[in-house]
Amino acid sequence: MPGVKAYTLREKSKADLEAQLVELKQELASLRAQKARGASATNLVRMHNVRKSIARVLTVINHQQRAQLRLFYKGKKYIPLDLRVKKTRAQRRQLTKHQKSLKTEKEKKKLTAFPQRKYALKA
Amino acid sequence: MAPKSKTTEKAVAAKKAVVKGIHGKKVTKVRTSTTFHRPNTLRLPRRPKYQRKSIPHAPRLDQYKVIIGPHSNESTMKKLEESNTIVFTVDIKANKRHIKDAFKSLYNVDVAKVTTLITPTGSKKAYIRLTSENDVLDVANRVGFI
Repeated sequence: MPGVKAYTLREKSKADLEAQLVELKQELASLRAQKARGASATNLVRMHNVRKSIARVLTVINHQQRAQLRLFYKGKKYIPLDLRVKKTRAQRRQLTKHQKSLKTEKEKKKLTAFPQRKYALKA
Repeated sequence: MAPKSKTTEKAVAAKKAVVKGIHGKKVTKVRTSTTFHRPNTLRLPRRPKYQRKSIPHAPRLDQYKVIIGPHSNESTMKKLEESNTIVFTVDIKANKRHIKDAFKSLYNVDVAKVTTLITPTGSKKAYIRLTSENDVLDVANRVGFI
């Protein structure tokens, strides 16, 4: 018995997923009760599959919630910390690409007045 | 006219205040105690601009996590028949109230009381006594005990 597949779960609604979660947890509880009495090999295999299925359902629920939240926060200034870019602490504190590219007025004038010249030799 | 003189008085007083400044007289507070207590300052409630955690976690100890499974040996069988009690292995972090609520919601029975102990192997054992109107054997069958 292989357990649920993630791609079938992704189409389901949140209510469906939560109902499935409850079902799976109940199945696990009954399997555990059977284990207490004396487990057969098939039961143990089923237990493993059920636990992993529960994990899959929870993962899909989590994915859906986070994707929706990212949409919600798109373009906003303050985002929850776990939705922000992770990188490393040092990298987060570096200047942004735009900030690094900024030039003073003086520098800009110099660049327009004295750009890099290209020369060619007449053959 | 009366209103006019009032307004002129006001105007004169205002002019004086502007010229002299308002802090002319020094007013000292009357201190009735030798100890200085920090005065009450403004305490604002939190109004976070964003949630720190995007998704608050689902309750970590739900009914399925609390109750792990029935515990069965000769002494528990005895308890089943004699004291209307069923014995369960339970999550260590669960307390008696958790166990009572979880059992009620999972098996739809009334629980009279719960006693717990932590076994030497580190798991928690709960002795769940059902109310006299409930039949333990019936519950045990449903649970998968027997």
